Amino acid sequence: MHYWKGFKQDSWQEKIDVKNFIQANYSPYEGEAHFLAGPTDKTVGLWQECLALLAEETKAKGVLEVDCDRVSSITSHRPGYIDRDKEVIVGLQTDNPLKRSAIVNSGVRMAEQACAAYGYKLNDSISEIYNNHRITHNSAVFNLYTEEMLLARKVGIITGLPDAYGRGRIIGDYRRVALYGIDRLAEAKEEDLKRLGGEPQIENIIRLREEISWQISSLRQMKEMASGYGFDISKPAATAKEAAQWLYFAYLAAIKEQNGAAMSLGRVSTFLDIYIERDLASGILTETTAQEIVDQLVIKLRLARHLRTPEYNELFAGDPLWVTEAIGGMGEDGRTLVTKNSFRMLHTLSNLGPSPEPNLTVLWSDRLPSGFKHFCADVSIATSSVQYENDEIMRPVYGDDYGIACCVSAMTLGRQMQFFGARVNLAKALLMAINGGKDELTGLQTAPLLPLPAGDVLNYEEVRSNYSLVLDWLAELYVNTVNIIHRMHDTYAYESAQLALHDSEIERLMAFGVAGLSVAADSLSAIRYARVRPIRDASGIAVAFDTEGGFPCFGNNDERVDSLVSELTHEFIEKLRKHAAYRNAIHTLSVLTITSNVMYGKKTGSTPDGRKAGAAFAPGANPMHGRDSKGALAAMASVAHIAYDDCRDGISYTFSMVPGALGKTGTDRCRNLVAVLDSYMLMKGHHINVNVFKRELLLDAMAHPELYPQLTIRVSGYAVNFVKLSAEQQKEVLSRTFYEAM
Amino acid sequence: MKAYFHSVNTFGTVDGPGIRYVLFLSGCKLGCCFCHNPDTWVANGDAVCSEEILSDIKKYRSFYDVSGGGLTISGGEPLLQADFVAELFELCKRNRIATSLDTGGFAATEAMEKALENADLVLFSLKAARERVHRQLTGKSNELILRNLELAAATRPVVLRCIVIPGLNDAEEDVAALAKILKQLPSSLKLELLPYHAMGKSKWTSLGLSYRLDAIREATLEDLSHFKYLLKQHGVCNNHVY
Repeated sequence: MHYWKGFKQDSWQEKIDVKNFIQANYSPYEGEAHFLAGPTDKTVGLWQECLALLAEETKAKGVLEVDCDRVSSITSHRPGYIDRDKEVIVGLQTDNPLKRSAIVNSGVRMAEQACAAYGYKLNDSISEIYNNHRITHNSAVFNLYTEEMLLARKVGIITGLPDAYGRGRIIGDYRRVALYGIDRLAEAKEEDLKRLGGEPQIENIIRLREEISWQISSLRQMKEMASGYGFDISKPAATAKEAAQWLYFAYLAAIKEQNGAAMSLGRVSTFLDIYIERDLASGILTETTAQEIVDQLVIKLRLARHLRTPEYNELFAGDPLWVTEAIGGMGEDGRTLVTKNSFRMLHTLSNLGPSPEPNLTVLWSDRLPSGFKHFCADVSIATSSVQYENDEIMRPVYGDDYGIACCVSAMTLGRQMQFFGARVNLAKALLMAINGGKDELTGLQTAPLLPLPAGDVLNYEEVRSNYSLVLDWLAELYVNTVNIIHRMHDTYAYESAQLALHDSEIERLMAFGVAGLSVAADSLSAIRYARVRPIRDASGIAVAFDTEGGFPCFGNNDERVDSLVSELTHEFIEKLRKHAAYRNAIHTLSVLTITSNVMYGKKTGSTPDGRKAGAAFAPGANPMHGRDSKGALAAMASVAHIAYDDCRDGISYTFSMVPGALGKTGTDRCRNLVAVLDSYMLMKGHHINVNVFKRELLLDAMAHPELYPQLTIRVSGYAVNFVKLSAEQQKEVLSRTFYEAM
Repeated sequence: MKAYFHSVNTFGTVDGPGIRYVLFLSGCKLGCCFCHNPDTWVANGDAVCSEEILSDIKKYRSFYDVSGGGLTISGGEPLLQADFVAELFELCKRNRIATSLDTGGFAATEAMEKALENADLVLFSLKAARERVHRQLTGKSNELILRNLELAAATRPVVLRCIVIPGLNDAEEDVAALAKILKQLPSSLKLELLPYHAMGKSKWTSLGLSYRLDAIREATLEDLSHFKYLLKQHGVCNNHVY
C-alpha cells in the first residue's frame, strides 16, 4: 500500500496499534534546537488575521458569535475557513472562525443559559425538542440525584461535577485516523460488533454493542465532514501534511460533538515526526514547510472554542479547552521519544507567540536528551506556557504511549478512558468534623450528626477521628454521585467520535479529586501543635478560631505536617476504593483545582490555620500563599511527599518565580531550571507548572489588558491568558508566593 | 555548635554558582544605611546546630549537585559566628558539598582565617572603597575590611561585590579608589557590581527604623555601565567585571 511506503512493517499492520507503529518507525533526536525554522509568510499572515479576530472576541466580552439555530454535530455545519489561501490545515467547528455552536446532549439548560448570557436566544424549536422530547444528560442526572447529593452539591462539599455539560477528559486516539483511514477503523468496529453478537446478550454486552454502533456512525460522519473540505479520509494519510490534517479532522469531530470540560489532543508530535521524516527524505518537505504544518495545526487548536456559561468560567477561568499535547518522554526500551517534531511543537510558542492552548505538556525524565531539556527550559522562561509531568513515575503505570487529559490525568491512548469526577472540599469536610457534621456557612446538617469536640481547646485526636467519620460518609456519597453522572452520560451524551478512536473493550478510570488539601493539613497541624480555640455561634458552629502558638505549615519540608498531607490523601483514596465504581472503573485521585481554588475558598468559612472565611485556597497541591518560608525546594519537597500511587490522577504544583531569582544570566537560568526539573522529578514530584515573570508585569497587564493579548501564565494544571481572568482571580494569582532573590 | 540564624533559602541562585542552600545567620555590626535585610542585624531568634543544617542540605542535595551549587553562608555577618561557620564548612567538605562565604568582612582577622579554611569561594561585599564614603554609609572605617579582603583574596577565589548607589559611591574618585584596590589584589579576583534598590525599605519601616536613603534613586543599568566604563578608564580590565 503506497500510504505506508517506507514504513517498517510490524504488527501494527495486522491490528490497530499506533504504539507499535511509532516504536517501529520513529527516529529519536538527541541534538539541539538549531535546526528549527521560523514561520512562513502564510503562517504569519494567517496568524495576524487570527490575532485580529481574537482581539474582537475579547472586545465582545469573550464570545465573538454564537450559532443558536443549529445543534452542533460532526456534520452540522458547512466547511468554514479563516483565509483559505493561507490555510495549510483546514477545518473549523462551525462555518466561521470563533463562532460557537450549541452542544445540547449534555444539557439543554446550559445551552440556553449560555446563549442568553451573551445576548442570544437558543432557537425555540431546539429548546422545545430537548426539553420535551429528548432527555439530556443534565436532566437525567437531576432525576436521579438523591436529596443528600443535592445538599452536598448545594453547600459545596462536592463541586464542579460534570452534571450540566460534557464530562470531557477522554482522549480519542486521533492518530488512528491518519495511520489507518476511517474504513479500516470502521471495519474493525464492525468485527467487534459481530463478535460480541455471539455472546449472551446481557446488559453490559448489549450496552457495549449499542455504543459500538454509535461509534461506527460517528466514523462515517467524520468521513462526510472531511469530504466537505475536499478530503477523502477513508484511506490512510499519504503525507505528513495529510497525517496532520487527518488527525485534526478526527479531533475536530470530537469537539463538534462534545463540549467536554477537557478535550485533549493526546500525543501527536512524535507520531507526526515519522511522516515528516519520510517526506523530508523524499524531498516533499523542507524544514520550513514541516514547521509550517505544525504551526498551522497549532493555529487551529488555538481557535477551538465551546459555548459556556459565565458560572463555568468562575470554576475554570480563561475559556480553556485543555487541548493538551504530551511531548517527549522516554520509551520502555530506553530510547527517548523526543524527536525533532517535539522541538517543532514547542517552537510554535516562538513562531506564533505564547498561548495557553494547546496545553503543551512535557513528559520529563532526567534521561531526556540534554539539548531538549535546555530547549524546554528556555521556552518556559520566555513564555511561561509549558508544564512538566514526571514520565518516570507514569510510564511504569501507563506504558510509553499515554497522553494527558486536561491537566494531569494520564491514560493509555486508545486503551483507557476516564470518568471525570471533579473534587471535594477537604477544608470544608474538616469544618464539618468540628461542627458536628453541619455546614459552617448555611448551618445545614450535611454530614451525619457527630458530637462536638469537648472542651474549649480542640483536641487533635478527637477532631481527627471525627474527620475520618466525615470522610467515610463523603467518600461513599461521592462515589455514588459520580456513578450516577457517568451512567447518565454514557446513556444520553455518549462520546461516540472519541470512543470510536479507542479499542472497543477499554479500561476505565474514575477520577476523584480533592481541593483545599494544604488548608486542611495546616489546620490539622494547628490543632495538633498549637492551641486552637473555636469561637462558636449560638447554634454551635465555629465561626472563627483563636489560635495560640506556632505550628508547622505545609511547604517547608517538615515531616510533622507533610505526613498529615500524605496520610489524608492515602486515607481518602482508600475510603473511595471501598465503594464500587460504575463499569468496574479503577478509582484514582487528583490534587488539582484548576482556578476553582478561588471559588472553593469563597464558599468555605474560617479555618483553624488562620485562613479567614472566604479567602482563596492555594491552587492544586500548593502550600498556602506565604507560608512556605524556606524557599522553593523545601516547598517542592513537601509537594513531592504526596504519593503518586495514592493520587494516580495527578498532583498539581504551580511554581512562580521572578527571572532574577532563577539565576543571573540566561545561561544560569536555563541550567538552574533544568536542575530544578531533574531534581523535582527525582524526588518523585508529579507535575510542575513553571512561571517566570515579575509581579509588576501582571500589575501592568491588569491596568492595560489591551497591551497583553498573549500574556500567558500557568495556573493549576493549565495555562490561561492572564487578561481573561476575572479581577478576583487575577488578584489571587498575584497573592501567590513568587520566589524572589533575598 | 549552635548559631543564631534568621532564615534559610533552599533555592538560592544569586549567591554563588548554581543552585545554593543559603543560610542567613543573624547578627551584624556594620549597620549599612542601604541594607535590605536590617532584620538580620541582631543576633537573636532561633539557634541551629551545624549537623541540623547539614542534614537539611542533604535533603536537596540532588538540586545542588546537578547545578554545580552548594552551601552559601550569608547573613547578617557570618564572621561574627566564625566558629560555627568553620565547623559547618568542614562538615560540608567532608560530605563533598561546595561552600561559599558571603561576608562584609567586618570582623576580627582570626574570624576570617577560621572561616576561610574550608571555604571554596568568598563573596566579599565592599560598601565603599574610600574611607570617608565608607564611614558615611556604614558609620565604620573600612580599614579592617580591606585587610580581610586582602587575606581572603590571597588564599581563595573571591568575587568582590560592590553595590552602586547613585550619587553616594559612584563618583569618579570612588571608582579610582576601587581601581587602586583591585590592582593590588590577585588578577583572578572577579568584581560584581550590584545596583542599589530600595526593596529593603519596608523592612526598615516595620522595624521602626527610619530609612535615610529616601532621596536616593535606584541604580539603573546605565549607572552600572558608566561605573564599568570609569573602571576601564582607570585600568581595570573588563573581563574581571560582571
